[in-house]
Amino acid sequence: MSCIDVRHLSKSYGGGVVAVDDITFEVDRGRVFGFLGPNGAGKSTTIKMLTTLIRPTSGSISILGLDAIQNPLQVRHRIGVVLQQPSYEPTLSVEKAFEKYGMMWGVPKRVRRERTETLLEEFDLAGIRGRRNEDLSIGQRRRVQVAREFIHDMDLLFLDEPTVGLDAGARRDLLDYLKAKVDRTGLSIFYTTHILTEAEYLCDEIAIMNRGGLIAVDTPSALQGRLGVEKTIKIHLRRQRYSDIHDLLSGVNGCSRIDFDDNYSATDRRFAPSDDGDVRTITIHSAKSELALLQILKILNEAEVEIEDLSVVPTSLEEIFLEMTGGDGGNRNGGGNDHNDNGTDNSTQDGCQKGRSDMPEGT
Amino acid sequence: MHPILRLVSRNVTISLNPGFLIWQVIFPLVYIFVAGFAYAPLIQGVELGPKDLDYPAFLASGMIGFSVMNSTLVSGIIIWNDRRHGMFEQIMSGPFTRGQYIISNICTIAIIGLISAAFILAVGIPIFFEDVELSPFTVPLIIFGAIAGSTLFGSLASIISTRLRSSEGFNVIINTVFLFFAFVSTAFYPAQNVQEPLRTAFYLNPLTYLVDVIRAGIFGNINMFVVVEIVVLAGIAGALFVAASRLLMRLNV
Repeated sequence: MSCIDVRHLSKSYGGGVVAVDDITFEVDRGRVFGFLGPNGAGKSTTIKMLTTLIRPTSGSISILGLDAIQNPLQVRHRIGVVLQQPSYEPTLSVEKAFEKYGMMWGVPKRVRRERTETLLEEFDLAGIRGRRNEDLSIGQRRRVQVAREFIHDMDLLFLDEPTVGLDAGARRDLLDYLKAKVDRTGLSIFYTTHILTEAEYLCDEIAIMNRGGLIAVDTPSALQGRLGVEKTIKIHLRRQRYSDIHDLLSGVNGCSRIDFDDNYSATDRRFAPSDDGDVRTITIHSAKSELALLQILKILNEAEVEIEDLSVVPTSLEEIFLEMTGGDGGNRNGGGNDHNDNGTDNSTQDGCQKGRSDMPEGT
Repeated sequence: MHPILRLVSRNVTISLNPGFLIWQVIFPLVYIFVAGFAYAPLIQGVELGPKDLDYPAFLASGMIGFSVMNSTLVSGIIIWNDRRHGMFEQIMSGPFTRGQYIISNICTIAIIGLISAAFILAVGIPIFFEDVELSPFTVPLIIFGAIAGSTLFGSLASIISTRLRSSEGFNVIINTVFLFFAFVSTAFYPAQNVQEPLRTAFYLNPLTYLVDVIRAGIFGNINMFVVVEIVVLAGIAGALFVAASRLLMRLNV
């Protein structure tokens, strides 16, 4: 049974700006649904419509079987919302903020006291329980904001980029808490993020949004299976004559794209000279990775290029995401397009497209 | 508990801080006891219907209206803070309607206004004890004045808070407007002896109506002019409440 059923949902603003353009999707109960997209894709507008904060221009929204456009208050009684922007009472202490928030939701005093204690422990906030919200760091305030939402009962929780501002440990703790909560209580979660590793770790299903429209909805593994048949070959080189590497590798068959690291100049078609032992990285995407790998090894061996390290990994969700959103979410030109960041031509040669990768490996 | 009461409880909790209490209680008392007695030799007596009030009694009754107006700053501050710190969106995504949010703010300032008025009245009674005429007719008038005044100035503060995003802008506008209201009114000095066009300006100021109504309630001086002032006060309060509600209903999240 679905807890969210969205049909042909659109939102336009004055001046012809279409923030969300005819999206349709469904979320099953007891699942974590990831809503991914680059900045400006329309994620927050969508979540604001789903949480009844703004009315759609057209389309229908059913939340937990209720028409969210006709019965917004009934919907709001059954959902929890952690919005992207911070929300806090500056002058209240952490503990008092929990207590007051529970009171606002009509949680009985005894229950909210118990839950406050539990949440302070579970979110590692006990040490700052007496501090005023305005005196907290951004990360602490964010943890308080997320933890506070669990003081009341709900059937569906909307989390709009909840890990923004959290350090790596707190981020992992939150994801683990959410997983456990879903397993224990059957809570449904609608989770927006642009951190792909979070979505891979947490979500049962993922929708990818770009420029106001949905471009894919599936499980992470299905997305990888459907769109990630390619594998990524990473070659790390050290102390080499880098000048010919472009021409050498352009002869490899079966690769879809070759990315060089920041030290590569597409204009000069060579890496910057290195005398200090810096490692240069080349990333090759190939649907026939075994074949490509054999050719690469043969070519580099014949050219007496010293390989520092070499690995073959499945294409990550992040890379699929970048591929689907045009490498950059449509906000700037990127590796998957016809021009690289230097504005020089990266046209395909022998089936291999050259680009330059700016993305870090995972998060 | 009803959602409005829950919001009122929350509003009161976040509003009551030492700074506000000092502003709300200490400041009017200083005015009554310092300015009241300091100016008394300069202002010999103030006619109020058949009564001839001494200046401290006149000022103390005026400070009740002034205190009610000050208390309504809370409304603007709550709305402004809620918008700045994301609580407006958070509340609107919770089990509340915008109408409940608006009414809870008005209730909050009415409560704070009434408590402030009662406190100043209690403190002021020794000063104007001889002239006070509290009765079943005058006490409701004082309460009406406090509630209508709270609604009026609370709505005005709400309107300002919905139009301004920066704290500097909000503070400058609020302080300027309220300063004008405070000193171009009958809160501090009687209108009878004031020169034109200042005298007219007094009666373009809603605080004058609020102070006059409360003063009429305290001293039992209800005449036709006060009845007109009651109607004007209620009318302005109603109009500003509608305007503030419309703005809040349309406030973007």
